[in-house]
Amino acid sequence: MKAEAVIKPAVKQRMKKKLKGTNDNNLAGYLFISPWLLGFLLLTAWPIIQSFYLSFTEYSLLEAPVWTGTQNYVNIFTNDSDFRTSLKVTFTFVLFSVPLKLFFSLMVAMLLNKNLKGINFYRTAIYFPSLIGGSIAVAALWRNMFNLNGYFNQVLAWFGIEGIGWITNPHTSLGTLILLNTWQFGSTMVIFLAGLKQIPAELYESASVDGASRLRKFVHITLPMLSPVMFFNLVLGIIGSFQMFTSAFIITQGGPINSTYMYALFLYEKAFKHYQMGYASALAWILLVIVALMTAINFFVSRYWVFYETDGGKQR
Amino acid sequence: MKQKTGWVKGLSLLMLAATMVLTACGSGGSSDSDSNTSTDSGSGGDSKASVKLKIMWQGPDTRHQAMLKTQELYTSKNPSITFSPEYMAWDDYWKKLPTLAASHSLPDVLHMDGAYIHEYATRGTLEDLSDIDLTGVIDDKTLENLKIDGKLYGIPISRNAQGIAFNKEALEAAGIELPKKDWTWDEYFDFARNARAKLPDGVYPINDSDTWDFYQYYQTSYGKGPIIQDDGKKFNLDKELFMKFYGIFDEFRKSKIVPPADMVSSFKENDPQADPMASGKVMTRSATVGSVGALEQLMPGKVDVVNIPVGPEGGGWAQPTIFLSVSTDSKHKEEAKAFIKWFVTEKEAGLTYGMNFGIPIYDDIYEALEPTLAPKDKLGNKLYDTAKDKALPFYPAAAGWTEWVDNYKKTIDAVMFGQKSIEAAYNEISKAGNAIAEKQSSKG
Repeated sequence: MKAEAVIKPAVKQRMKKKLKGTNDNNLAGYLFISPWLLGFLLLTAWPIIQSFYLSFTEYSLLEAPVWTGTQNYVNIFTNDSDFRTSLKVTFTFVLFSVPLKLFFSLMVAMLLNKNLKGINFYRTAIYFPSLIGGSIAVAALWRNMFNLNGYFNQVLAWFGIEGIGWITNPHTSLGTLILLNTWQFGSTMVIFLAGLKQIPAELYESASVDGASRLRKFVHITLPMLSPVMFFNLVLGIIGSFQMFTSAFIITQGGPINSTYMYALFLYEKAFKHYQMGYASALAWILLVIVALMTAINFFVSRYWVFYETDGGKQR
Repeated sequence: MKQKTGWVKGLSLLMLAATMVLTACGSGGSSDSDSNTSTDSGSGGDSKASVKLKIMWQGPDTRHQAMLKTQELYTSKNPSITFSPEYMAWDDYWKKLPTLAASHSLPDVLHMDGAYIHEYATRGTLEDLSDIDLTGVIDDKTLENLKIDGKLYGIPISRNAQGIAFNKEALEAAGIELPKKDWTWDEYFDFARNARAKLPDGVYPINDSDTWDFYQYYQTSYGKGPIIQDDGKKFNLDKELFMKFYGIFDEFRKSKIVPPADMVSSFKENDPQADPMASGKVMTRSATVGSVGALEQLMPGKVDVVNIPVGPEGGGWAQPTIFLSVSTDSKHKEEAKAFIKWFVTEKEAGLTYGMNFGIPIYDDIYEALEPTLAPKDKLGNKLYDTAKDKALPFYPAAAGWTEWVDNYKKTIDAVMFGQKSIEAAYNEISKAGNAIAEKQSSKG
């Protein structure tokens, strides 16, 4: 109590002085955001800087880092078959899971955009699983479903089909994970739904008057009007898929024989299983560059297909 | 510039505010009379304050229950010591431990295994426990053998041994001759071939093998020495034996003596549905003294044991591999050591955890335990007795070799799934092994 009493007046005084000061209009603002600012600086910015430094070292966590220059990067690109494997797996995953997920969530969003009785109930019911979608529990459930003696094979057995170990067979394991990722469509779907609601009804009405078919309306009204939302989901989907970790870690542990050895899992194992923090940091920076490149390409290509109403339909 | 200094001051102000809040909390907790120590939040005040030991171990559920009871007993004897236990299965345990070690948050007392203790000891995460007095409990020679660079990083709590469990009931029902003590590798392979002819479809005599240690039993039994030698500075994989061993398994895959690869990867030991033996799919699997009891409970009365097949040099191992260690980051090292000492020397403790870690290392405890043993416990004892005659030393992977161990399994899995030839696997595995050995010996 005493110690507190000693500090208090001094602080109070300074606080008063500071807050009264003329050039300190910003101080209050910084104070207000300080919890987040501190969190960002200490928990995000600093580790990022540190990992950049560490990527040029050999660091086992328990001993001090040793500077090795670009050795980690050289090793990664010239002498690491796991790096190539994990990149290949990750690109395959992105290539299939992103379009599938976009397509699937758009279809569900279109269904949920119908004016039915009790549509809100359906929306809630269908979105509900997404609340737990990316969690460990779902991954564990998925593992039980698609294991050799999992529920899926038990259902197949009713029809006399002998199932295979979906997640323990290198030919089907990645596909199973892609399926899981597609099934986690919730948030993408909600964004699509919001986008669909933004499309003015009169566009459809006038098209109907002109006798346009459903497909035509979809291709010439829905898709262009939805393209900014599509673009947003695409970019987020690609970034998210590149960082896919949970299901590969829980369900397959990268196996069998590296068939689901995602880049993020590879990175994790290097860091926390083999204690090669420096190497893992280098991997993380390479991932950052890859994701940044993909996003840049996306933004560049978006000029040719994303339509913004505010531009008056002009191609930029 | 002005703005910047203001910003820094703002930060320090915030820090001050935070300190203030912390001190306020601290002083709130302790009584007002000793105001001088209020900033310490009373931690140094009373020395006999109760201590909560964090403790972590791995194993099957029966072991968890026994361990929890043992801790309860200790708390009832020493009311000032309580425990904060955490326990899980083998795989999860070794996945979790590295992150804890890396963040310096290992528990006070932790379960160590012969396969990993080198890795953790040489990285400085474990406390030297040589000063725990165990005269008359564990003989000096045993302790001396377990030292790493002259220091004892874990107190052995049991005698352990590796062997093979088999489904006695099913093999007898199918009219198959049971494995015999000290069987040779040729007898092992012949057993598998003969059993195939007599077993129904979908049931397999032996499991496929994709881990380095099982092949190492083969290599060492023929006198070619362990794969990782000289604390990880020397690599020794015998090509001839390697090709022969996996050649036999290749033949076995074709003739369905071992289960298909996707079934093998879905096995999970001690899981009632996914355990290779308990699920009824495979007739044999490897087991240790400490773990065979768990298997017996999944299939009561059906399990019997035999040692690992032997060669001219012997085979398998029989020695302590289960340890209790203390973390160097522990704040309660003395209390942790006292608990460990009690754990290995006190009869009452031993009677509580029984055979769950293998055969208790202190003979007095085992003698007291013997009359009370259930069949599942006797099985562990039988396994130890069978294994010890021909046992070779336990050859763990050295520190820094976990990556190689992982890659060994992945490479052999590729062979198992028919995506790689045995020769290619040999080349990859030895290339990686030689690279690590070279790197480690250059470090000195």
